[in-house]
Amino acid sequence: MKFFVRRAIFYVITAWAAVTINFLIPRMMPGDPVAALIAKNQGRLDSSAEQALRVLFGLDSHASVWTQYVQYWRLLLHGNLGLSFSYFPTPVVDVIKQSLPWTIGLVGIATVLSFAIGTLIGAGIGWRRGTWADMLLPVSTFFQAVPYFWLGLLCIALFSVTLGWMPASGSYDRSMVPALTPEFAGSVIRYGTLPALTIVLSSIAGWILGMRNMMVTVSSEDYVTVAHAKGLSERRVMFGYAARNAILPQVSSFALSLGFIVGGTLVMEMVFSYQGIGWALYTAVSNHDYPLMQGCFLMITLAVLVANAVADVVYALLDPRTRQEG
Amino acid sequence: MRTRKLAPLVVGLTAVALAVTACSSGSASSSSSGTTGKGSGAVLTVGMPNGTLTENQSPIIPTGSAAKSLGYAWVIYESLMQVNDIKPLENPTPWLATSVTWNADYTEAKIVARDGVKWSDGQAFTANDIAFTLNLLIKYKAINADFPDQIKSATASGNTVTVDFTQPEYVNQIKLLKQVIVPEHLWKDVDPTTYTDTKPVGTGPYTLQSWTPQAATLVPNPTYWGGTPKVAKLQYSSYNDNNALTTALTTGEAQWGWTFIADYKNTYIAKNPKAFHQVAGGGFGVDVLYLNNEKAPFDNVAFRKALSMVVDREQISQLAGSGVWPAIGSVTGMPSPSGDDWIAPDYKGKKQSVDVNAAKALLKDAGYTWDGSGKLVDPKGAKVTFELVNPAGWNDYLTALDLIKTAAAQLGVDATVNAANQDAWFNDIIPNGNFQATLHWTDGGATPWNMYADVMDGASYVPLGKTATWDFGRYKNDEVTKALADFRGASDDATRKSSLAVVQKHFVDDAPALVIWARPAVAQYSTANYTGFPTDDDPYANPQPTGPQAAQIVMKLTPTK
Repeated sequence: MKFFVRRAIFYVITAWAAVTINFLIPRMMPGDPVAALIAKNQGRLDSSAEQALRVLFGLDSHASVWTQYVQYWRLLLHGNLGLSFSYFPTPVVDVIKQSLPWTIGLVGIATVLSFAIGTLIGAGIGWRRGTWADMLLPVSTFFQAVPYFWLGLLCIALFSVTLGWMPASGSYDRSMVPALTPEFAGSVIRYGTLPALTIVLSSIAGWILGMRNMMVTVSSEDYVTVAHAKGLSERRVMFGYAARNAILPQVSSFALSLGFIVGGTLVMEMVFSYQGIGWALYTAVSNHDYPLMQGCFLMITLAVLVANAVADVVYALLDPRTRQEG
Repeated sequence: MRTRKLAPLVVGLTAVALAVTACSSGSASSSSSGTTGKGSGAVLTVGMPNGTLTENQSPIIPTGSAAKSLGYAWVIYESLMQVNDIKPLENPTPWLATSVTWNADYTEAKIVARDGVKWSDGQAFTANDIAFTLNLLIKYKAINADFPDQIKSATASGNTVTVDFTQPEYVNQIKLLKQVIVPEHLWKDVDPTTYTDTKPVGTGPYTLQSWTPQAATLVPNPTYWGGTPKVAKLQYSSYNDNNALTTALTTGEAQWGWTFIADYKNTYIAKNPKAFHQVAGGGFGVDVLYLNNEKAPFDNVAFRKALSMVVDREQISQLAGSGVWPAIGSVTGMPSPSGDDWIAPDYKGKKQSVDVNAAKALLKDAGYTWDGSGKLVDPKGAKVTFELVNPAGWNDYLTALDLIKTAAAQLGVDATVNAANQDAWFNDIIPNGNFQATLHWTDGGATPWNMYADVMDGASYVPLGKTATWDFGRYKNDEVTKALADFRGASDDATRKSSLAVVQKHFVDDAPALVIWARPAVAQYSTANYTGFPTDDDPYANPQPTGPQAAQIVMKLTPTK
């Protein structure tokens, strides 16, 4: 029990530090939201609009950083993240609510797929070393090594522009309105396939490699030899004895990678015009949208913290050695 | 050995597997968005590179409105008049107002409201709605982007609204004509700075049918005063960036929009030369190479003029602007065709041309010399060098700077190009004058006033190191300052012409800055399903979908036969 209390205190302190840094970093960036907005419009926004924008964003009055910090905590505890500048006057909470499910849905499914497929393949080729299946390793590493945006653009050029099989951008057919219908679900799946495919392709190598290497180590352990000697079936030895022990490190890195899902894959969202939290964060940073930036950072930090906590707990359950005290 | 032979096979199989997965899910539904159907009944898809949006349909908030950024605000709500940016002062088309008349010094406007117009909820549109909208601008500074602190009062009487301004608005008159009007009965109890207007009620030809974060769909307004629109459905789609929109335009998924396409003739038009078009509207907006008149080497008028004589505007327009931004021929820096009538008689027909020898002769007369290695030396004996600066990533600007650097080398001057941080450029380099030469745009406006004032108005002059809003090059000439003030406040054309002549004379003689190219409103569109867009031969309106002119353009569209 003491173990869990200690961890809990650690996480509370980390969360406080993260929230405070979230508050400070945007304010240390050079530039301001109005200048960024004028830059984005490059001459199409008349210069007389500047004053109006400052009044609109409430930037015409100056509060000290300390006052802002206290205010920030007060609003945060009420679940209020303020109004976004770039999507004025939409509350930051709404912007996040609108984009987060898309990222979690797509990147989440892709990560789970990548983990499941990669671990299976890794277990397979780690078990039967020296066969042709080893070739999968360099092939998958190749896809991980090429820059992701290049892979994405290549897939668009091939499957969308040249062959015309897949849509090039968007999260669902633009003429549709989200609803719980088979057509809409089909559209979401259709539009999500190519981005998901590229994410799986570019991330699977890590899972394959990790699992294969552990399998190689584990399969020379005594208990595996004993299982063989007992005359158990090949399959039983592979999954029940070798893979079961080899998967431990995979599980903890999987829990960690779940935390990074919320960070989103910004590049994927850029390349495929997918509406997600990564894009929202990018918009926030390029527009000096402090409230939205803080909101996104907060979500990402919390997600990583929660994932860390889950990894901690899961590992403690799986491997009793980590729980030993003293 | 066996494994090595198998390697290509595995790669091949992977590729096939990928293709099959893609194919099987791809064939599930074959219709692509927005392009189904031909001729009448087809959806017209308007694309903009604005990313994911949030539900905000307000037509009057200066930023954050999905309706304004994609442009459908202007087919739901309408402006007082339709202005053609090519000749902004000539014959605006009456729209919600049947006439707008100004007094002699442009401090008061009388607006007559159109009869028989209905809001899409059935209520009648009256002059009270116009007065109400203008009073919103007085009451809420945050939404008054066009006339900050300049509207004194707006009162309706009968079908006429009288607007009083605190200063002469000759140079801003089209901003009033372009003002969109909102219904008093729905807006009177809301705070327009935070109202998101999710069920927009306007007078325009279309009404909002559905909205999602990546697209808005609009259908014709059955009670529209101007007749029945012929485009059966409008879909406004948002793409995350210029690349995605370029792909959508070249595949025909989007049929109307605006994004800078480098080498647009090959990348865009060549994909379907019959249907794909790119046209430019007019306007007075230009991009200017600001020269710092208070820092060497540009504190010497002879050097400014010499540089102006060797910079090849035509080449810069072709190479850096992909031909999208037209070169400016006139020595007065006036863009064509909007500025043609505004050129002073002395400079009519006088064209900017590259003349290295004349530039060298001019420098020689001013006391400049060349050292043994051919480098230019100023009259005080110092070698002439300068730095050109613009934010990193602004590629058309940076390419233009490179060409200017090459041009300066012809005079024996070593120039360097510095790609600065965008925030530093905005907050320090530009306002404080910490540059020698930099490219920047000017406001457009209805007359040449904005362009010249942004470059030369002594009223905006502040010393180096203080924040300037315009006149970044610190040009100061009392004669010009007075002429610009006279132009703005004049009550007759003769005064305007003579004031402008003074300004242009000094622009040519003092070369305070170099006008590089015009920046008109440009748009791409496809005539595969609908025709009637503004063309080069019939530029009846600004061709972009994001402005009050959108209502006028959609009413002119007819199905392609």
